[in-house]
Amino acid sequence: MELSVIYIFLTNLAILIGLFAIISLSLNLEYGYAGIPNFGKLLAVAGGAYFVGALSGRALAIAYGQPAGLGYIERNIEVVGFLNGVLSSSPLHSIVFLIMSIVGAAFFGGLLGYVSSYPAIRLRGDYLAITLLAMGEILWVIGDNWQPLIGGSMGVRIPDPFRWVGGQYRPLAILLTVLITAAIVFIYLEYLGRAPLGRVLKAIRENELSAGVHGKDVVRLRTKTLIVGFAIAAISGALNSLWTVSVSPKDFERVRHTFMPWVMVMIGGAGNNLGAVIGAMIFVTLRELIVFYKHFFEAIVPFDVIWLEYLFLGLALIIVLMYRPEGLLPEKPTKTLSAKKLKAIASRVEPAKEKAT
Amino acid sequence: MSIPLLRDAIVFASILTMLSTGLTLTYMTTKVPNFAHGNFAAINIYFTLIIAKFLNINPYVGVITGFFLGGATSLLLYLLILKPLLDREASYIILMIATIAYDMMLISVINIIADYLSRVHKITSRLFQLREWGYGIEIFGQPSIFIVAPLLAALLVISLYLFLNKTKFGIAMRAAIDNPSLAEAIGINVNLTYAVSWFISGGLAGIGGALAPLQMTCNTDTGTRLLISIFAASIVGGLTNIYGAFLGGFLIGLAEVLGTGYLAINFGSWVVPYRPIIPLTLMALTLLFAPRGLTGINWAKLFRRGS
Repeated sequence: MELSVIYIFLTNLAILIGLFAIISLSLNLEYGYAGIPNFGKLLAVAGGAYFVGALSGRALAIAYGQPAGLGYIERNIEVVGFLNGVLSSSPLHSIVFLIMSIVGAAFFGGLLGYVSSYPAIRLRGDYLAITLLAMGEILWVIGDNWQPLIGGSMGVRIPDPFRWVGGQYRPLAILLTVLITAAIVFIYLEYLGRAPLGRVLKAIRENELSAGVHGKDVVRLRTKTLIVGFAIAAISGALNSLWTVSVSPKDFERVRHTFMPWVMVMIGGAGNNLGAVIGAMIFVTLRELIVFYKHFFEAIVPFDVIWLEYLFLGLALIIVLMYRPEGLLPEKPTKTLSAKKLKAIASRVEPAKEKAT
Repeated sequence: MSIPLLRDAIVFASILTMLSTGLTLTYMTTKVPNFAHGNFAAINIYFTLIIAKFLNINPYVGVITGFFLGGATSLLLYLLILKPLLDREASYIILMIATIAYDMMLISVINIIADYLSRVHKITSRLFQLREWGYGIEIFGQPSIFIVAPLLAALLVISLYLFLNKTKFGIAMRAAIDNPSLAEAIGINVNLTYAVSWFISGGLAGIGGALAPLQMTCNTDTGTRLLISIFAASIVGGLTNIYGAFLGGFLIGLAEVLGTGYLAINFGSWVVPYRPIIPLTLMALTLLFAPRGLTGINWAKLFRRGS
């Protein structure tokens, strides 16, 4: 094996791990912390990618006086070629485009989360799960058929914000962007989990009724959680399409973007952010190895090896649910302040009390 | 409305009724929406293909094998996966994830069968249909599928009704659904009644799946696509009422085909691919305004207030 093959394989693997870690972290917030069964992860991820394909590329086209209507789809290669020329000579514009795409996708994802969960957010979780799953399929139907959006089933090419770093450094630049984003998401969610909000979400997960009795607005908190979760997953979708510089409905499917993150979170350990990341690492690596060595198996069996992966994933998930439902890294008790700090606070409160009495 | 469209609508509604009835039945017993239900049907779509193209037998035979194969697929899910999880007092979310995991395994099996049929035996196994059987054979001058599907759906619905209301086991089953611990106390084998209801559910899905390729173009993802319509049908009817599933299945089936046909005539054929939006919209409206479905609405009270 040549060194360059290993280099390409490893960078691709690391990028994919980063992308899936972001998705599984968002699912961990929704399911692990708040207990919301979001079976519509596909909706969020594809939503983010569709946003980049449909809107942020067009915004750039308008800025440089290129056709942004149906012409953007029809003369796609020409327009994107021109825009790439502009972006490759201007790092500043590239970075602005990148950041605008990510932020825009996050906002769009959040909006999608709010709208799609609205009909069922007040009902028991299974209704919500059904609704979100169905919405995800509908988004696929729209993306696959409505030409003006992202070119229908053919997909659409988008301008490349990493062109200016030069061909051989491009994968590294993307890897850096993805890993930084994943790290920010991880730190943010860790912070959220330790903040009072994280404890409230866990309280809702454990007993909705008692959380409600204690004055927590369960529906509002659930909606908020879904909006944040959708926004984070949409960022992953946006980064994915900026990496492959194209958006196509067939890249986003239920198994890959709804089911895989669930496997990662359940096996990594629901309610534990590190578990979600480790789950992503294990399953992306396994999947990439299967894809890499696919042609060896292909000669032996008369079917596409990728289906064996589905069988294996389903089986692995069921075994974990039965024999180790807490996952590889179980959820840790909620972090509280250290004993020293608590004593310090107590000593501050005590004199005040004594004074009062 | 043209006659072929109406025919399509009635056939599809019949198939959907079988599917939604099974889904509601298992939801009532185990209180978990079964995400693998669509692929119970899809397995039998491929079994029918094997019967018709590989064994060269009339695919209507698939209805009988479909009942048992679908039932077995479903029973396996209950006995091997859901029952042990229920014994461990897993939450309904865990059960849902387990049904999705089983669904993935079914998708894998379906695709392996499809790949095997096309690569080894050169049988078209993707985007295929067997309309030459469903429409080629005629009964009373009508396409046979148009007679068989509604008749079978009606027969199944009536026999399920009789089974649940007139037989001792059926009454025990309803008791076990309404109050498992009380039923157990008076000596009903709750586990057996649940297992039977899962078998019936899968069997109904299997029959629906066996008939599907005779009427529509099927693919490996047909089960997954059907799932939206099935859930919509069950929810519109009311997930906790078996008669709601009959009603919902027929309504959603008609609405989907007739609605798409009507819109296609008026706005052009580009609307056809957006067909799943119709069941989804009806489902969302139901969840917003009557979450317990049509059978969950207290109609008498509603009319009294109106007058």
